[in-house]
Amino acid sequence: MSALFRGLRDGHGFDALLALLALVYLLTFSAFPLVYNIVMSFQEVDMFSMADLVRPFVGLANYKTLFASPDFWPILRNTALFVLLSIVFQLAIGFGLALFMQQDFPGATYLRGLFLAAWIMPALVVGAVWKWIFAGDFGVLNYFLQQLGLVGSKVFWLSDPAISLYSVTIANIWLGIPFNMILLSVGLAGIPKDMYEAAALDGANALQRFWHMTLPMMRSTLGAVISLGIIFTLQQFDLFASLTQGGPANASNVAQYWSWQLSFQTYDIASGSAVSCLMLGFVIVVAVIYVRSTRHEHRA
Amino acid sequence: MKRYALLALALVFLAIYLFPLYWMYLTAFKPSSETFTYPPSFWPHDPEWNFAKVFVDKKMATYLSNSLLIAVGTTAIVALFGTGCAYALSRVRSVWMDVILFLILMMQVLPSSLMATPIFVIFNQIGLIATPRTAVVLVQAAKVLPLYIVLTRTSFMQIPKELEEAARVDGATRFGAFMRIAVPLARNGILVTSVLIFLQSFGEYVYSRSLISEEALQTATVGLMNFMGPNTTDWNGIMTYAVIYVTPILFVFVLLQRKIVSGLTAGALK
Repeated sequence: MSALFRGLRDGHGFDALLALLALVYLLTFSAFPLVYNIVMSFQEVDMFSMADLVRPFVGLANYKTLFASPDFWPILRNTALFVLLSIVFQLAIGFGLALFMQQDFPGATYLRGLFLAAWIMPALVVGAVWKWIFAGDFGVLNYFLQQLGLVGSKVFWLSDPAISLYSVTIANIWLGIPFNMILLSVGLAGIPKDMYEAAALDGANALQRFWHMTLPMMRSTLGAVISLGIIFTLQQFDLFASLTQGGPANASNVAQYWSWQLSFQTYDIASGSAVSCLMLGFVIVVAVIYVRSTRHEHRA
Repeated sequence: MKRYALLALALVFLAIYLFPLYWMYLTAFKPSSETFTYPPSFWPHDPEWNFAKVFVDKKMATYLSNSLLIAVGTTAIVALFGTGCAYALSRVRSVWMDVILFLILMMQVLPSSLMATPIFVIFNQIGLIATPRTAVVLVQAAKVLPLYIVLTRTSFMQIPKELEEAARVDGATRFGAFMRIAVPLARNGILVTSVLIFLQSFGEYVYSRSLISEEALQTATVGLMNFMGPNTTDWNGIMTYAVIYVTPILFVFVLLQRKIVSGLTAGALK
């Protein structure tokens, strides 16, 4: 007993104790719910059986109902589209801004940091502001677009089922640009300057330098930023809640919002947990790929 | 000359990007009659100071104090559990520590909206739902703890081991060396990360919406959603609410901008 105590006080037991305290906390409040969720997705759970400790198992019935639901595939398609478009544009705009901010001019670092003001705001408030910008009749976006002659009549960004998903995506891209830019800036700063000078001496033009030097040197950073982008985009909930609530008629619904709606608005907890399981599985696969690739870089 | 042209261009990009923020502040200052003019005006002709009225009418004191409570509680738990773990992970390289780090990174990526379902059911069964703000603090802490550990770990890694070893030779225990040498030296990283965690929790929405049913215990995000309603038109009031809510956040951000950016970038890519 006293050896154990001495180990905690003086030896490696101390490190183990500190690490385990946090791990136990996370296992209790993250890992356990995760496992519980998997179990629930094979059970019959509704408002009445929710509090029971023992619930009837129904096998794959919840998943079968889910796949048969007419909403399932459109919402999955929306989710894929939302993630894909968000990543592509966040990355492209973020990369462009990072390259620009890399130039030598006064206050570059400070101005670059100011972009993060958007990222630090509660996403729900960002959603409220964008809802006002998107407003059909008095929205400022329609005004700009009409002034520029890009649209003839007013666009109903949030209530037109053909557009609503793209409107939420636009707001999400806006929110994601600063984070992409900052991370890519770090990657750019790590490329040795003299490489560019040597290439410029050899007569490579700016485009060639970008294509043959910047992009290959940025490969691991880009990989990290894309994985983090997928993970963060699948966390996006507040914008859906504040902008469209998945509507009109699920036209802008995505899996992470749908899962919540099923559980908390229609009280179909079994289906909610089944959707949740599918998405959590996907997120974890992306995260494993990401962590493994960054660890690999680290050791090499 | 070229440097100043680039600066001007950078300012233009920033202005375009931050236009939604300007629009929020502008709308908050416009009187409601001017809010609904088309074409819209880009400068308030007759600025109105509605803040006190919205603050009282929308019960913002209650909502904001609930948000504050949740942010303080979350930050306290995270700092308590996370600091030691970050330290241990920075000091020991072993297979076990790698496994722990991997598990922690995995738990960072779980979206709150997907975790809300099982957490609601579990908390209902064990009765935690009766103290909903505590419930939100507990799960929000679990959500942000991994980020805190990852970011703080990089601060501990920058402290040379020799300093602690010297203290140990002088008779300090591991705990003494940790508290009196390592923590004070990593102070900056710990503080900045705590501020980041605090700000994130201050804007928490999913768990508050899912676990808190009583209105008097709701947070400022949920209050804003209630205010927006399905067919709202009071954009002037909503933007005033938003301004009251985010101005302190933006103020803290501008003060700590440099440190937040460097802390974030150090942690995210390692």
